Amino acid sequence: MKTFEEKWTAWLDGQLTGKELVEFEASLPDKAAAELERQDAHKLGAFLKEHLEAPAMTNEEFFHHQLRGQIERESASEGRPAEAPEARETWWSIGRLLWTGAASLAIFCVCTYFVITGDNNPGGQSTYLTQIINARVDPAVSPNATISIFESKENRVTVLWVDGLQSLPSEYAAK
Amino acid sequence: MSARFLAFNAALLTFVLSQGAPAMASESVWSGLVMANNVPEPTPIPAELNSLEATLKKLFGYNQFQVIGESRKTLKTGEEDWLATSKYFSLHVDSKAAKRSSYVLTLQLFQEQKLLLETKTKLSKSSPLVIKGPQVGDGQLVLLVVIE
Repeated sequence: MKTFEEKWTAWLDGQLTGKELVEFEASLPDKAAAELERQDAHKLGAFLKEHLEAPAMTNEEFFHHQLRGQIERESASEGRPAEAPEARETWWSIGRLLWTGAASLAIFCVCTYFVITGDNNPGGQSTYLTQIINARVDPAVSPNATISIFESKENRVTVLWVDGLQSLPSEYAAK
Repeated sequence: MSARFLAFNAALLTFVLSQGAPAMASESVWSGLVMANNVPEPTPIPAELNSLEATLKKLFGYNQFQVIGESRKTLKTGEEDWLATSKYFSLHVDSKAAKRSSYVLTLQLFQEQKLLLETKTKLSKSSPLVIKGPQVGDGQLVLLVVIE
């Protein structure tokens, strides 16, 4: 249902018809004053239409208007942070990824090699020193023989020290 | 970039494969039967023992070292055997190639036909093996095996 203001606006514009028009005009307390007000509104509308039209611009003015608009837009865009490029470059290029992968593989191989070979050293001996894997003497020939192993760090010499072998006469020193 | 990448991978592959390859058989092994004793005027130490003179003197306490038997074997396949002999002793060496410039040697010391000592060692380059043998008179029989 329309309010009084809506009906009043429609009446001023001459859009009320029929029964609605009759009922609205009957509800007006002072119809003569209302008619006068409607005529003033029509006059004001006609005046505004006549005098407030957008002035036609000459070519020079239109050019200046366009130029000022462009300057204003550019000035406004300079104040805002630059937009991110569509294809953002990262440090992880394909080439660098390949190099990084190959270097990681190399480090893995080297570490794995040293870990594996380190486990194979009996008695924890260094791989750079000669290692005694086993040693034995014939107990029937030398029943009291004992064997010990040590390393001399001076010349990286590995020594197999056998005590208790049967002593021999000096003629056995012959060439 | 691709050329450098391929070169890098080739070097890496070479490194990995070289670690698994057996020692190159272009080295020679010197094996010696050495008699150590103390004398008033010691003879100069043999050239093969020059670098070990101080170590041998410190280990055994003798001032003279004489080679009574020796053998120098150039390893071609790494799997060879040889003999260093003196009049009464012989040192039999049987080698097998191992990794990283080393050889697995089985050493047997014989007094004439009698086996006195047997040992299996992994001999590394620049790390000589010294074995204390039996007492002979007032001296000491010492066995040495060195990759040259």
